[in-house]
Amino acid sequence: MSVRRVTAAIVALAAVGMVRIVWLHFASEPAHEPRRMPIDQHYQALRSLVHGAEAGYVSDLPAAVRLGEDPATRGTRMYLQAQFALAPVVLRYDDAQATVVIASVADPAGLAELLRQRSLELVAEAGPGLALARPR
Amino acid sequence: MSAVAIALIGAGLVAAGFPRRATDGVERAYRAAAAVALGTGAWSATYAAWRLAFGEAGAAKDICLAVVGVALLFGCRRRKTEEALPRHEPAPRWLWAVFALACAVAAAAFVEHTFRFPDGGWDAWMIWNLRARFLVRAADFRSAFSPELSFLAHQDYPWLLPGAVAQALGQLGESRVVPAAVAAVFGILTVAVVALAIARELGARWGLLGGLAVATLPCFATFASNQQSDVPLAAFLAIAAALVASARSRRELALAGFAAGLGIWTKNEGLLYAICLGVAFLWRRRDPRGALAFAAGALPCAALLVWFKLGVAPPNDLAAFSTAGSLAANAIDPLRWGELALLTLRRVVYFQDFALWVLAQTLLLWVFVRKQPASVLGTALFLACAAYGPIYALQPHRLDWIFRTSADRILIQIWPTAVLATIAALAKAVVRPSQGSPRFSQVPGSPPV
Repeated sequence: MSVRRVTAAIVALAAVGMVRIVWLHFASEPAHEPRRMPIDQHYQALRSLVHGAEAGYVSDLPAAVRLGEDPATRGTRMYLQAQFALAPVVLRYDDAQATVVIASVADPAGLAELLRQRSLELVAEAGPGLALARPR
Repeated sequence: MSAVAIALIGAGLVAAGFPRRATDGVERAYRAAAAVALGTGAWSATYAAWRLAFGEAGAAKDICLAVVGVALLFGCRRRKTEEALPRHEPAPRWLWAVFALACAVAAAAFVEHTFRFPDGGWDAWMIWNLRARFLVRAADFRSAFSPELSFLAHQDYPWLLPGAVAQALGQLGESRVVPAAVAAVFGILTVAVVALAIARELGARWGLLGGLAVATLPCFATFASNQQSDVPLAAFLAIAAALVASARSRRELALAGFAAGLGIWTKNEGLLYAICLGVAFLWRRRDPRGALAFAAGALPCAALLVWFKLGVAPPNDLAAFSTAGSLAANAIDPLRWGELALLTLRRVVYFQDFALWVLAQTLLLWVFVRKQPASVLGTALFLACAAYGPIYALQPHRLDWIFRTSADRILIQIWPTAVLATIAALAKAVVRPSQGSPRFSQVPGSPPV
């Protein structure tokens, strides 16, 4: 085994790696993976309305909260993104009895129905499918 | 003040860790890279200790850190010059060009990925930057670890990265640029540490090859831009590994222990790696005092982790969801072990994330490295990989899900250290007799494995 052969082998592996990087980031992803909107943009209006240490969180889609539940669902992502945007308010999942409750729905048309089902009263809408509510 | 504190404590730690003066530019650059990484890590770890002790951390913390740095700088002034190492063959110009191209490609991928995913990877906003936001926004920092948060927020994770991001957010203002910049710094440091650590011992050619192996692993740039703790952990582990492998004094071993300790405070896996490095050193070098120095270096951050885990953190989800029954059932389930073996084998040829690097590394291990004398780093990596077998098999989640979401991260954490160990073995095999034997990662007199 010579230095030149080892050098050539590693450079060849590096070349394959570079081609893969270029393909993924500059050909494949731009074609198939839409650019994400910053999470905060969706929750901007809500953040100015929510104060205090804790709030309830209800949704029309379930989130994974215990072992065995799929953590990659849209409902889980909505809950965790709301938590990220609204930190340091701790969002208590599925708690409709808290003083203030965040309602987040995947289908904006279902917001009123969700509030009715959970006996919540609308305080303010904060964008499509997002609202601040309180118990009736 | 924070930048001054990071610079002074980093320089002080390096002054304390290296008893002799640097002889050349490569050595100085290596020490500078280590100083930035260790300084940033110490800055964040001190922040955590300050908040655990007093609730708040202000300028006083940075002043104390800077004073300690100055004290170390003056207390550990080096009088002797580092002994000259054998001259190594310089790298050809075309190899420098390939390395520069690889860095440019990785940097471009980092920028592109950061624009495409402005909040970083899923774990960044679910865990690391969420924690940073709590730390910088909450009146009571303990709410960052509230058991009311989703278990997916992993409130039990140590918070070196969130601590660094939170401090930067607090001083520079809340902006998505801040966590991205911190991620970029750790990505650059990881490549730099590997390339320079190899170059100082084996010459520029090998250093560039090591740097290439890190920078062109396809998922490296992606993970760096994901703003998660895996690349910072990889950086601290690589510093610790490089120092352990090349240590000529116990002070260097203590500094290696400190770097491993920062890994402990970066992610739970850091504790496993620190233990594996310490055990491997004791096993291969038979130097209990050196191992003690390593452990003493790791002690401050290990103590910080214990303080956090016992005082603030809720139980780890793996522990919270496990029962004696589930552990026993998983341990004796042959299908689970078979599934784990299959998943691991499939990952070796996972071209999307690893291109051909992991396949090449596996083949090299099989046909070449295993016939070489055992090294501290090789043993440490073997121990760590062996430990992951039962960890994966016994954990309570669905095996395919947890493997799919974590295996690449573990690879990223240990890849720079694997490159350090492999390049050293390769260099030894091809070194010419006139050049002498490189000391890097070698264990004189150890039997072949």
